[in-house]
Amino acid sequence: MDHKKDRREFLQLTGKAGLSTIVGSAAGINLGVFDLAHAQPGNKVAPFRFAMITDSHLFSGDDHKFDRQLEDAVEQVNSMEIKPDFVLYGGDIAQNGTEDQLVKGRKLLSKLDTKLVLIPGEHDWYVDMGAAWKGMFGQDHWSFDHKGVHFIGMNSILVKDFWTAKQMSPRERMAAMEMLEGPIGGLWGVGEKQLEWLKKDVAKLSPDTPIVTFTHSPLWDYYPRWNFQTVDGPQIREILSKFENFTSIHGHVHQTVYNKVGNMTSIGAMSTSWPWPYPPVTLAYPGSQMNRHDPGNEVDGMGTLAVSVKAGGQKLAEYQPFGDSLTPYLKKGLKA
Amino acid sequence: MKATFKPTLAIAVPLFVLTALASGSASAREPFSKEELDKQQAKLLELVEQGYNLWHGSNPEMSGNGLACGNCHPDAGASNPQTFPKYIQNMNRVVQWGEMVNWCIQNPQAGKALALESEDMTAMYAYAMNLHRGLPIQPGLASLQTKPVPVKYGKGFPSKPSGIGFDTK
Repeated sequence: MDHKKDRREFLQLTGKAGLSTIVGSAAGINLGVFDLAHAQPGNKVAPFRFAMITDSHLFSGDDHKFDRQLEDAVEQVNSMEIKPDFVLYGGDIAQNGTEDQLVKGRKLLSKLDTKLVLIPGEHDWYVDMGAAWKGMFGQDHWSFDHKGVHFIGMNSILVKDFWTAKQMSPRERMAAMEMLEGPIGGLWGVGEKQLEWLKKDVAKLSPDTPIVTFTHSPLWDYYPRWNFQTVDGPQIREILSKFENFTSIHGHVHQTVYNKVGNMTSIGAMSTSWPWPYPPVTLAYPGSQMNRHDPGNEVDGMGTLAVSVKAGGQKLAEYQPFGDSLTPYLKKGLKA
Repeated sequence: MKATFKPTLAIAVPLFVLTALASGSASAREPFSKEELDKQQAKLLELVEQGYNLWHGSNPEMSGNGLACGNCHPDAGASNPQTFPKYIQNMNRVVQWGEMVNWCIQNPQAGKALALESEDMTAMYAYAMNLHRGLPIQPGLASLQTKPVPVKYGKGFPSKPSGIGFDTK
């Protein structure tokens, strides 16, 4: 029996089944790839879809189960009935930030049928302060316009220098950042330079331009102890406060989560590696919690995210779990 | 004829002493002094720290794929030691907490199980229970599986993280 083949077929089926609630306006529409030169921000949005894969935490060596889980995510996205115009990778390709892990991630992600854009996570960054990541994937913050929507990616995992005074080696620095509840690294954010860049980036956009931001961590204070936050999230929200439709999509939390703060709607993506327990805070939208995963089911609690953008700029975010991890509420998708 | 037990004086006296000891009589021993209590607490915290390090990958034998307990259970979240013994579906029986830990070590972590009576397992239990102090001991209540563990931001342990996948002790 070809177990691998069966697994692939199963995931393809679940991937397709997960799309059953797609909004009608997006059906059949796939107008192509980015048109950076001719983008018309502020114009009416042409409906499309995009997908997100995040937090694969690849280890070194061959045939690690997380490699297969990322492969499954890629196949799941490739088998979406309505193809995404692009795929966003939300950070933490690697677990220990080493170049071999990033190279492996790049190779696995190269199997995607569509264009890929990426932002870094802390696990990608702190061995060489992003040198290998930037060498492979380019700038850590960027923006582009696509079919009337302005997309912004930022590096939200920058912390103050804790390593120089302690004379830590690059590996010790990385190890300190690997622990979610580690006491050393402290709170992270995007920093002054990216805030200034963001101000300039959106200065000329009209308020009716739909905005979608991608950051590794949420732009609201979810649970700072685990860096489920971005320390300058309030400044980012202030800069983007003029926009009527602002959606923030993030990774890092390894779980389904949803919130609204001011004009921002925030959606957290499932990981492809492992799910995290919900932290001890009361959510404003408790219905956005997925089921507690079954540890006996190695694909439970993980998956990808598909987002349909409608003509008015409204969005429907649908989780595409590997297993049966979603509540009936979540299966309907989250509106933004 | 049915025999009737009648303690003799020689047996009755030692029985009295044993009863007194078992009931916690003041004649058993003096209460622990502050120094003794401090020493006991220090020993416990030493073990809690050992458990914290094990939780975060200090014993390479516990993992064949680089994963440590802390990957899926930050702050020992959702490990819920206070809810064991508990029926675990994929084992089809009621197990103690250490057995569940060993299941995780052997399956998601692809490592070598710890002896249930080992110091390492006791240390892991001390760490996890230390974070769950104050929560009700309610064995078997699956509804508490997602009970979060509040830990104030900024408080950690003094030891350096050992790293996961490299730089292990």
